[in-house]
Amino acid sequence: MLDLTFWAPVMAGGVLAGGSSGLLSVYIVGMRIPFLGVCVAHAALAGAVFGSLAGLEGSMLLIPALGGAAVTALSLGLADPRKLNMDANVIMGLLFSITMGLAFVGIGLFPVLGRSDNDVRSLLWGSLLYCRWSDVWLMLGASLALGLFVLAFGKEMRAILFSRADAQAAGIRATGVWTGFLILTAVLMTVNFQTVGGLMIYSLITNPAAAAFQLVKGNGRAIVLAIFFGAVSGLGGFLLSAVTDLPSGAVIVLLSALLVGVSAMFRVLLRRP
Amino acid sequence: MSDAAVQLDDLIVRAGRRTILSVDSLRLERGELVGLLGPNGAGKTTLLRCLLGLQWRVQGRVEVLGRPVGDLGSGGLAGLRRRIGYVPQILPARSEMPLTVREVVAIGRTGIAGLLRPLKGSDWRFVDEWIERLGLTSLAGQGFGEISGGEQRKTLIARAMVQHPELLLLDEPTANLDLGWRERIVRVIAELHRSLRLTVVLVCHELEVLPTCCGRVVVLDAGRVVADGRPDEVLSTERIGSLYGPGLAVVAASGRWAVVPGESAHA
Repeated sequence: MLDLTFWAPVMAGGVLAGGSSGLLSVYIVGMRIPFLGVCVAHAALAGAVFGSLAGLEGSMLLIPALGGAAVTALSLGLADPRKLNMDANVIMGLLFSITMGLAFVGIGLFPVLGRSDNDVRSLLWGSLLYCRWSDVWLMLGASLALGLFVLAFGKEMRAILFSRADAQAAGIRATGVWTGFLILTAVLMTVNFQTVGGLMIYSLITNPAAAAFQLVKGNGRAIVLAIFFGAVSGLGGFLLSAVTDLPSGAVIVLLSALLVGVSAMFRVLLRRP
Repeated sequence: MSDAAVQLDDLIVRAGRRTILSVDSLRLERGELVGLLGPNGAGKTTLLRCLLGLQWRVQGRVEVLGRPVGDLGSGGLAGLRRRIGYVPQILPARSEMPLTVREVVAIGRTGIAGLLRPLKGSDWRFVDEWIERLGLTSLAGQGFGEISGGEQRKTLIARAMVQHPELLLLDEPTANLDLGWRERIVRVIAELHRSLRLTVVLVCHELEVLPTCCGRVVVLDAGRVVADGRPDEVLSTERIGSLYGPGLAVVAASGRWAVVPGESAHA
């Protein structure tokens, strides 16, 4: 029998990480940029590496990690695909290669300086099972910030989702809003990486929206359903793993993928005469 | 400051070493419906982008609705663009996000409403009015990606119109549409111009798209204005032949224009 009191922060973390990633997934899938998660992860790693080389330790490494992720997001937001003659995913690939290269150059300096890189390696590869209440509050803060942003700029985000170029032509401050969204996304993802790990986040920034888009039309309904699917995956995956004694991250990922498949089947069945 | 809708002077746009647009002087008066014709690559879309301040490496003076586009900061440009309704040539790639037709039309009110302000009931009423006016009521709740090309074009026209624009820029609004849809779109454009006395710039490379109320045609070729005047002055068989090749004849009937194979055309 599961000790709910003991596992409460883990379950809360699962719901928060899943729900907030579900919200992100609406925009990441909508804009067709699923590679953003990998790009942000390595930018955060690069930040943490150089923070560690500069002498920071333990949980303080989150600050340069957030800095690295935010700077990369800022670069991505300000980069104009038309002016650069590059697709947004290609720009992300370029940023990923730069940040990954920097990260591993930095990691390579640790043995040269006679120092350990354990702090850095463990920073961004957390596990839901070790989620504490302090992690939950951190995730809650980042999630609320993103949620408030989406509430405040929801109509602008909807226009950008449809066409960033058309939004700009209609006098919408598309670049500023999109850059702000990317920075908050990078912050939230970095916080989630270090609390629940990348395996879970990579899947939950795509699968919930992929499932929701099968079932509903309209921006508002898609957001609500994607958040729900993300939270269900996070919490449900943990509970399933507790019952079956299987790795929690893997079960969460597979549950989120199963939801996509079930939603697609539902859509096909509903449309049959 | 000019009171014209558009005033261009010594406009030059380059791409690398190539000049893609060069206009010595062009003035469009308020309330005109101007057809902007020319073959592919003539600079028609580039000219529209200059009016919206979306084109880079622009030399010369571009004044739109009394505002000098080149001198505006980002805030000023955004404000000017809200006064301009723009229907792009290329429909957005099918988005993964299933926005409804109503949501897409409402995008036109987003800039007008302003940052940190949600769309109000009055905004949505305006959206619904234009949806009804353009015959999209039955499609309002459907996904934009699920409707036909012609219905998508009408949706984008409605999106432009809910901005309550002073200038409407239409870039090949009938591209890839069948005859039936082409005629419906032409009628919509004509009705909007007649009822609202909008200034309209209609980019096309087919004469058939020009509505009867089109009072002026500007012809671009290789980035230059080669003709500017009334349709009956500009749209001659000789001019069309010089633009598109021999063997074509211009036909006029009931205020509309068409190009047909001429006497010297190959069988």
